[in-house]
Amino acid sequence: MRLIVSADTHLGSPIRSVALRNPELGERLKQASFDTFRRIVEMAISENADALILAGDIFDSDFPDLKSRAFLITQLSHAASAGIPTVLIRGNHDALLDHTNHGSLGPDIHLLHEGNPTVEIGNAMFHGLSFDKSHMAKSLLPEYPEPVVGRTNVGLMHTSLGGSPGHDPYAPCSEQDLLAHGYDLWCLGHIHMPFERRSGSALAVMPGIPQPRHYGERYGGSVAVITLGDGVPQLEHRDVGHLRFIEAKLDLTECGDQAEALDHIGAALKAAQDPLRFTAVRLQVATARHTADDLQVLATELLESVDDVFLDKIKVLPPKNLTDDKVNDLARLMRAEVQEDGFRQACAEMLDDMRNALPPGARDALPEDALTELLNEAIGEVSLSLHGVDAQ
Amino acid sequence: MRLNRLDLTRYGRFKDAQITMPLPPAETSDVTVIYGPNEAGKSTAFNAYLELLFGMKIRDHPYEFQFKRSDLLVGAELAIPSRGTMVLQRNSKRNQSLLDHQGRPIEETILSSALHGLSRDDYVERFSLNDDGLRAGGARIANAQGDLGQLLHAGVSGLTTIATTLEQMTAHVDRFYKKGGRGTELKVAKDRLAKISQELRASRLTPERERTLAAAKDDAKAEFDATDQGLENARLRQAALVAAQTWYDQAENIRQIDVKLAEFPDGPELPRGAEAAVASLVATISEKSLRVSEAKDALETLKSTISACPKDPLAEALAHELRQLDQLTFDDAPLQARAATAASDLDRRIADREALGAKINEALVALNMAGVPVESLVLTSIEVDDLANAAQAVVNLERDVIAAEAAATRARGQLVDAPPEPKDLSQLQATWDKWSAVADITLAKNAVATEKAQLVTAVASLPATWADLVAAGLPARETLLDLTRAFATAAADLATNKAELEARETAYELAQANRQTYEATPATIDATAIAETRRKRDAIWVEHRSALTAETAYEFEGAMHVDDDAQARFAEGQDARGQLVAARREEATARVLLDQAQERMNRVTEKHIELTKQATAIASALGLAPETNPAAFTDRHTALLQAAAIEAKVANAKAELDIHSTHHSAALQDMKKAANTVGIDCSDTDLPSRVQAALTLQDSVRQTWNRWTKAQQVLADLEQEATDATTDKEAAQKSLQSLINTLPLAGRTAGEILAALPNLRRLSQFHEEQSKLILRIETLENAIAQLDASALRIMAVTGAENDPKVTSLEVIEQARIRISAEERAKEKRTSTQTEMTKEETARKQAETAIVDARAELVGWFKDQGADDLEPTQRVAVLSERDNLRNTRKAYDELRTSARAGVNNELFAEELAVLPDSSRAAAVDQLLKDAQHDRDQAFAAHREAIRLYKEAFDSDDQSNLTTEQATILEEIRAGARNAAVARLGVLAAKGALRRLAAERRTTMLGDVENAFVGITAPAWSRVDVWSQSEGEKLVGIKPDGSSVPVEDMSTGTMGQLYFALRVAGYRSFARDLGPLPMILDDIMETFDDDRAKAALQLCSDIGRSGQAIIFTHHAHLVELARKTIPDVNIVDMPG
Repeated sequence: MRLIVSADTHLGSPIRSVALRNPELGERLKQASFDTFRRIVEMAISENADALILAGDIFDSDFPDLKSRAFLITQLSHAASAGIPTVLIRGNHDALLDHTNHGSLGPDIHLLHEGNPTVEIGNAMFHGLSFDKSHMAKSLLPEYPEPVVGRTNVGLMHTSLGGSPGHDPYAPCSEQDLLAHGYDLWCLGHIHMPFERRSGSALAVMPGIPQPRHYGERYGGSVAVITLGDGVPQLEHRDVGHLRFIEAKLDLTECGDQAEALDHIGAALKAAQDPLRFTAVRLQVATARHTADDLQVLATELLESVDDVFLDKIKVLPPKNLTDDKVNDLARLMRAEVQEDGFRQACAEMLDDMRNALPPGARDALPEDALTELLNEAIGEVSLSLHGVDAQ
Repeated sequence: MRLNRLDLTRYGRFKDAQITMPLPPAETSDVTVIYGPNEAGKSTAFNAYLELLFGMKIRDHPYEFQFKRSDLLVGAELAIPSRGTMVLQRNSKRNQSLLDHQGRPIEETILSSALHGLSRDDYVERFSLNDDGLRAGGARIANAQGDLGQLLHAGVSGLTTIATTLEQMTAHVDRFYKKGGRGTELKVAKDRLAKISQELRASRLTPERERTLAAAKDDAKAEFDATDQGLENARLRQAALVAAQTWYDQAENIRQIDVKLAEFPDGPELPRGAEAAVASLVATISEKSLRVSEAKDALETLKSTISACPKDPLAEALAHELRQLDQLTFDDAPLQARAATAASDLDRRIADREALGAKINEALVALNMAGVPVESLVLTSIEVDDLANAAQAVVNLERDVIAAEAAATRARGQLVDAPPEPKDLSQLQATWDKWSAVADITLAKNAVATEKAQLVTAVASLPATWADLVAAGLPARETLLDLTRAFATAAADLATNKAELEARETAYELAQANRQTYEATPATIDATAIAETRRKRDAIWVEHRSALTAETAYEFEGAMHVDDDAQARFAEGQDARGQLVAARREEATARVLLDQAQERMNRVTEKHIELTKQATAIASALGLAPETNPAAFTDRHTALLQAAAIEAKVANAKAELDIHSTHHSAALQDMKKAANTVGIDCSDTDLPSRVQAALTLQDSVRQTWNRWTKAQQVLADLEQEATDATTDKEAAQKSLQSLINTLPLAGRTAGEILAALPNLRRLSQFHEEQSKLILRIETLENAIAQLDASALRIMAVTGAENDPKVTSLEVIEQARIRISAEERAKEKRTSTQTEMTKEETARKQAETAIVDARAELVGWFKDQGADDLEPTQRVAVLSERDNLRNTRKAYDELRTSARAGVNNELFAEELAVLPDSSRAAAVDQLLKDAQHDRDQAFAAHREAIRLYKEAFDSDDQSNLTTEQATILEEIRAGARNAAVARLGVLAAKGALRRLAAERRTTMLGDVENAFVGITAPAWSRVDVWSQSEGEKLVGIKPDGSSVPVEDMSTGTMGQLYFALRVAGYRSFARDLGPLPMILDDIMETFDDDRAKAALQLCSDIGRSGQAIIFTHHAHLVELARKTIPDVNIVDMPG
């Protein structure tokens, strides 16, 4: 039995990167989540899969639109007409999948929930639960059906497992308990980074977000193709995303002149090319001579001749000697200044003011606990600006 | 850290060049002025120094024009605190480029710790200054608006853009966000976000919106259903009215018909078609009566016809006999038809049979086998062919045997006696080849002779011990070249320094004489001297006052005069004293220059002596006289090397000759052994010619042998062919014998059998034809007999007498004619009888039809009145009655059908109000109103459905969603950058305040001294004003007026910047230890006074650490000599 497993598609959720200011890229990727989902369905058809598995967060609660639900039904019906059933559960973003309010999805599209926790396809029993709440503090595992003896048992669960940075706890569950439940395969969702765990012949798979939406999701971009046979389930990850995010670290401190710096940046951008998809690259540059604005200008010029690579952001790291207290009086004294309670209070108020001026969706750029981190960056920024090429 | 010497080993245009910066005497300023004209390489030297400290540029190196980048090498002698003096080198490798004095890689930390972790940029910013930097720095610190912290920071770090930087950062923040700002990036972005959100809200199909649209759709549907029902009710009312009106009208029509029907007879309604049926029945009765009459007449005529055709009683028996005859056939045709020709055919066939018998006898005679049964010689064509093939094969093989035996006999006769068999000469050939390669040793001997002749020529000018000199080892050529160059340089330096020393001695003697002259001048008495005269006068006065003697009085008077004279001379001698001071200073300077020249002379002399010693030793090693000039060393060195090389060639040539001779002998012996194995035995002298002859003839011997072996093989093949042909012939004879054993041909040869074959073929053919004719004749005779038998049986039936004149065929033909006549009569009788039957049937049917029609008429009129009328009239009356009845029924059905589907209640209501002429219009208006209401509800429902559907089909707004996300990302990044910049500005400003507080005590005095020193007498001091925005530095004029920094002239600002840098340098040196400060022609635009002051500041730097001044101005060099005691003056290397 061959399964295409995906989760966290977040239909309708846009890509968040200033790279999309590029008109061509913006136009090509404005429907990236939908386009990627089409690609998943086409893959299931072309691979002649026995079932398509969706482990929750098919939609995105920040972008509730029943048109997305209509799109989902169209696509899954297309798969069903090709003989490929879909098994899915709700995640914490899937109010649009509430069957009591919106009805069923159609023939051969099996939404598993408390009233219908199991469906049989071929020789396999698929078990799953869907809950209405966007927050679930307890483990759902005890409520899952017992495995059916003599059959292949596949579980679908939306869970944060033991916890993951950047993801709210949802139906927490330990990996050991999961793998000991007696199922042959667990298809999981919620954490957007792919992973797999094995215990004996049992396998737990988190396929990852198929289309990464921002730099923090640079490890996604794939679905899992799982083959169930007599032995251990065989797992293969397949790239489906239209855009990937990567980080490129550069050290320009040893560059003698601008031409050498351009060569380094150009080489990094060319190395970021991927023949199968677009790439948004975040440059992390160690330099004593360039500000982020300088580098932005250089990189933008270079990208004119590098296809399918776009700039997400540039982060500049000043070299250590620029902020070395021993020889840099200004850095030393700034460091002393930022330790003063009065100064910190004034800075915190300034940040509050600026944060409140931001639209709510962007306020996370200035978290309340980031004052120390921002002050350290500020010391580096002053030192860098003073030594930048424009300054001299 | 101090730079003692910079080594430009391979760098730019320099090769093995050095710039030495001697350590000055203690307690003096450490200043080195490096002088060189434009393009002398000062920038190269400065860059080399930086690359020594921080590593070389990896690619596109600006100084790789003479040497490849990989060959670049710089070095320096550095005095490093805690490590002492070290010689370090730097090459251009990417890693491990820092080397010790022996070229071994060493740790970078040695330098980086000495440089306190400074980067190259830091070092350049803090420890170098040029004229452009001075002026630009001065202009830029104006932006500091006198801020003490910013100015001190510029002095400490060398960075002058902090004011601009902080302004730019603040502007950057304000561009993004400013409280109350209307055109900020944040405000523009938020406005756009609001618009996008509005558009998205309008287009997004949320569940709530879907519920609202669905509810609106449901409401519209309910309203539509209600108005639709109203329209239906109105339609029912109108239908009820129409039905009631119809009912009302048709009831009146029915009443009128009922009145008419009362005048017609009773009875049931006539069946459908009664009128036509009655008319038809009346016509049928008339027609059938006429038909009965015609049938009776026809029957009488047919009876007479039958009587005229009686039946033949023998016809059946004759027919039987003829049918039997017709069943007999001959050659697949009826017997009667073939029997006519059989008689004549029979005779011809019998004659043919007799002719074939004669031919068979002729063939047997030809085979010489008369009397032999022909059947024993009859063969099939295949058997004849097999016999022919077998006989022919025997004949052919007999011919082949004879031919093969004849060819073998011929070949045997041509085969000659066997020639000698060739021998294997490959080993002899190999040894011959090896010997041929080394046969000629003349060339090797000539080479030895040639090399010996060259050696004689080469050593002609060399001492006899030249070989010993070479064996003892010659000095390296580079050593000779270096020594030659160094010796020449030392000699030139010696001459130069000697001249300079003499000039310095002359100058010193002049200065000394000048000073002595001034000292001898009375007016040059100095304050010490007059103090001494006064002190002596006062002491003598004390003595005189105690003694009050004439002697003491004279003494006092004398002392008083001396003192007065001294005082007078002192008062008058200010200029003279100045000249004396100048003369003493010039003398001191001349002394110093003399000492320096002497010292240099000593160094050069020592160097020259040392080089002379080296030259003497090398001259000895080269076999030259000790006093030989090193310039001759390289020629002698070359000659010795050439002689050694030629001698080596002679040795090599001899060795080559020996080897060649050895190979020559060995090859000859090998060839001799090989020759013996093939039977060649002769002397060494004849051996090569004998071997060469044997090798030359070996091909013809081998060809002769090959030809003989080939002829022998041909003979063997022919003999084998004869044997094979004989075997084949015997097999063919056996096969032929097996074929003729069963025939009466035994004993005949293959040739005889081939001759008999044509007759055997004819015999078989005649026999087959004869057999077929015999069979045919028997068949013809049988057919004629059968026909005759049939004719006899026919005659027996007819009772005719046998008449020989009448043939069997004629009898049979007459019988057939009689049968045909009977058949024609029978047909006539049968057809006439059929006609009679038909007529009888027609008559009976007509009579029956008349009865049936009459009965049917009775049926049509059953239970009807008016029976007194003829059927035709009667049916017309009854039909009119039925028509009235039908009309009444139609009226009734019409009113009944009008009620169908009509609401009974409404019908009753409407019928009750009839007749009413306005009722129809009222009901019609009611219907129109209901239709209007329903149409409106329908449109509203359609619109609600459209809106609901449109919500799902609305345009894709993902571009807006994407733009929204992008703007939010831009805001996040912008906010973060703005916050960092804002915090940076705040932290920097606070840090600058701290810097001012921290450094004002230690640096301000240095700044003031430097500033006043370089600007005197224009400025007398600096001051610091405390203002609300911080402390500000101001300059104070000698008249006490103050000038803010930003109001100073550009030149003054540059001088202030220089003063700040000097103070900053001293501060750094105090805190972390000094590093060399590089000043590149900073004074080229200064007048002499300013330049002197600037040099004084350089001297201040030199007192804290090390100052290195590059200049291409000779007057600045002289000025430095005058301004800075013990200054080092170094020329750029050539």
